[in-house]
Amino acid sequence: MAAISSTLSQRSRASAPGRRAMAESPWVRRLLIGAALTFLILFLILPLAVVFVEAFSKGIEVYANALIDPDTWAAIKLTLLIAAIAVPLNTFFGVTAAWCIAKYKFPGRSILLTLVDLPFAVSPVISGLIYVLIFGRQGWLGDWLFDPRYPAPHWIGFAHGWWPLTFDWGPHDSIAVIFAVPGIVLATVFVTFPFVARELIPLMEAQGNDEEYAALTLGANGWQTFWRVTLPNIKWGLFYGVILCNARAMGEFGAVSVVSGHIRGQTNTLPLHIELLYQSPGTYAGAFACASLLSLLALITMVLKNFIEWRHGRAGRELA
Amino acid sequence: MSIHAVNIRKTFGQFVALENLELKVPAGRLVALLGPSGSGKTTLLRVLAGLEYADPGSNGRVYLHGQDVTNTPPGDRGVGFVFQHYALFRHLTIFENVAFGLKVRGRKTRPPKAEIEERVNKLLELVQLPGIAHRRPHQLSGGQRQRVALARALATEPKVLLLDEPFGALDAKVRKELRRWLRRFHEQVQLTTVFVTHDQEEALELADEVVVMNNARIEQVGPPQEVYDNPATPFVFEFLGNVNRLELTTVPNVPPEATPAQGAVTYVRPHDIELLREPASDTIPVIVHHVFAAGAGARVQVVGNKTGEWFDVEMTRYDLDKLKPRYAEMVYARLRRPRIFTKPAL
Repeated sequence: MAAISSTLSQRSRASAPGRRAMAESPWVRRLLIGAALTFLILFLILPLAVVFVEAFSKGIEVYANALIDPDTWAAIKLTLLIAAIAVPLNTFFGVTAAWCIAKYKFPGRSILLTLVDLPFAVSPVISGLIYVLIFGRQGWLGDWLFDPRYPAPHWIGFAHGWWPLTFDWGPHDSIAVIFAVPGIVLATVFVTFPFVARELIPLMEAQGNDEEYAALTLGANGWQTFWRVTLPNIKWGLFYGVILCNARAMGEFGAVSVVSGHIRGQTNTLPLHIELLYQSPGTYAGAFACASLLSLLALITMVLKNFIEWRHGRAGRELA
Repeated sequence: MSIHAVNIRKTFGQFVALENLELKVPAGRLVALLGPSGSGKTTLLRVLAGLEYADPGSNGRVYLHGQDVTNTPPGDRGVGFVFQHYALFRHLTIFENVAFGLKVRGRKTRPPKAEIEERVNKLLELVQLPGIAHRRPHQLSGGQRQRVALARALATEPKVLLLDEPFGALDAKVRKELRRWLRRFHEQVQLTTVFVTHDQEEALELADEVVVMNNARIEQVGPPQEVYDNPATPFVFEFLGNVNRLELTTVPNVPPEATPAQGAVTYVRPHDIELLREPASDTIPVIVHHVFAAGAGARVQVVGNKTGEWFDVEMTRYDLDKLKPRYAEMVYARLRRPRIFTKPAL
């Protein structure tokens, strides 16, 4: 919206002395803006509004009850836990991959660049399925993981408690990856891998290596160069990548659905929980109550994104 | 501190950037690496700084003050490097930029805070930019950024200063001012300095010694007047200053030791040609084509009467007024200092 209004104001300023060649007639302009707005309202704003309307349709009490339900709480906590693991991991991987790709020329560089994009290209169902094929009972590691000679406690996340590293001590005859918290973590990490790297690669490529080289000639070591020169230069891009990564990590459905097993209160993330409530009789409004939480997350993400673009735009102008 | 680089060979894939060259810079000199783009001059500078390494197996060595620094990382070489686009840290203030080299030092060698502050302020005064310490790079003009980059490079008290195209990104007027300023600055600090440039005027005016590079090799090394007056190769002749390139047969009285080989060429500077009214034994007849006399000197374009070769002649306005050449008139040219190369220019 900010971009639209700024181009409009530029245009009106430019067209003051006389009409420019590029300026369409006012009617065409109004028609185009009208079409764009109608589309936005019909396909984006209206559905989002419906979520909140449905969430409160049975009154505020039903809404509140749906949210304080222990299974909902478990789903929220699990979702936060997954994001708390996946986002830092992918921030680290993303910065590392972007650093390699943007700052060095090496054989296999373009292959790495393609691999970074792979999770975007693959259907989420496949992203989940690959882990079932590796860690599932019939998978590559199945014989080993489901061997009663190697019993291991099952990590069940928060379960209904408050401690994220809760284990079910068994006795078990397997090492639980699929239909358990580790599988959800793996699938989420895979799906959200590209966000940070994708955001940073063009930024780092545009900035070049000169400042890093300058730091080296001034006696800084690699670590100091990264913390004092590289990181401050990419911080807004990094922040943007991180919030997008976070939004996806919390909202991912497909891949997580394949590996989760949908165990209420244990392996249900918030998106899976919403689907479960929606399919079950009598919890229709509850599903929308939970959905309103995810929608709120989306709105916060968008606000942050706009804030970053505003800051970033200012920083960009400072460079020019 | 003297610089000595030997056997430096550097390739980027198939491209040879430096071909087994040797460079010697005595302590305290101001030396220009001059050459067209792609001649390897910036690569050589970066090898000296340690930002690039000579090809392994080429046996190349870099010595600073007799000490082998071939495998020393850039930060430990005692060199200050000024990048072509300055590479100032954009998120830091000017003060922080200049102080960077001191602040990243280990606890033992890092000067105390008050001393850093004092040194930075002194450096900013030295580059004539006091009172801008709190600003950021984007708030400065190109010339100011250039001097901040210089101050930043000097903060670590390097023994050698390396400048990559120091005036390349500035407009013509600022460039000239800054050039003179750098000359005076060098006299003041007496630091061994090597700078890269593709601008011959800049190299000739500024440097004690000019290293002319072409095609990954050094063509000639010498003081500015020496390389201008006695170019060692056709390339240097053509690259430095204006020059007329003539066929050997055009030149009267070729000395017998210069056996006219196939493709031999002769070079004459425009100001080394004299135009006369009367023919003599060592003159060639030419026809005046164009007279250009707006400026301190005059330039006359003439065509050889027999050979059809074009040449430029430069003379003083005073000489022009004496000669008064007119369009299509025949005059006689005397080539005062022709240089004959038996191999053609590349």
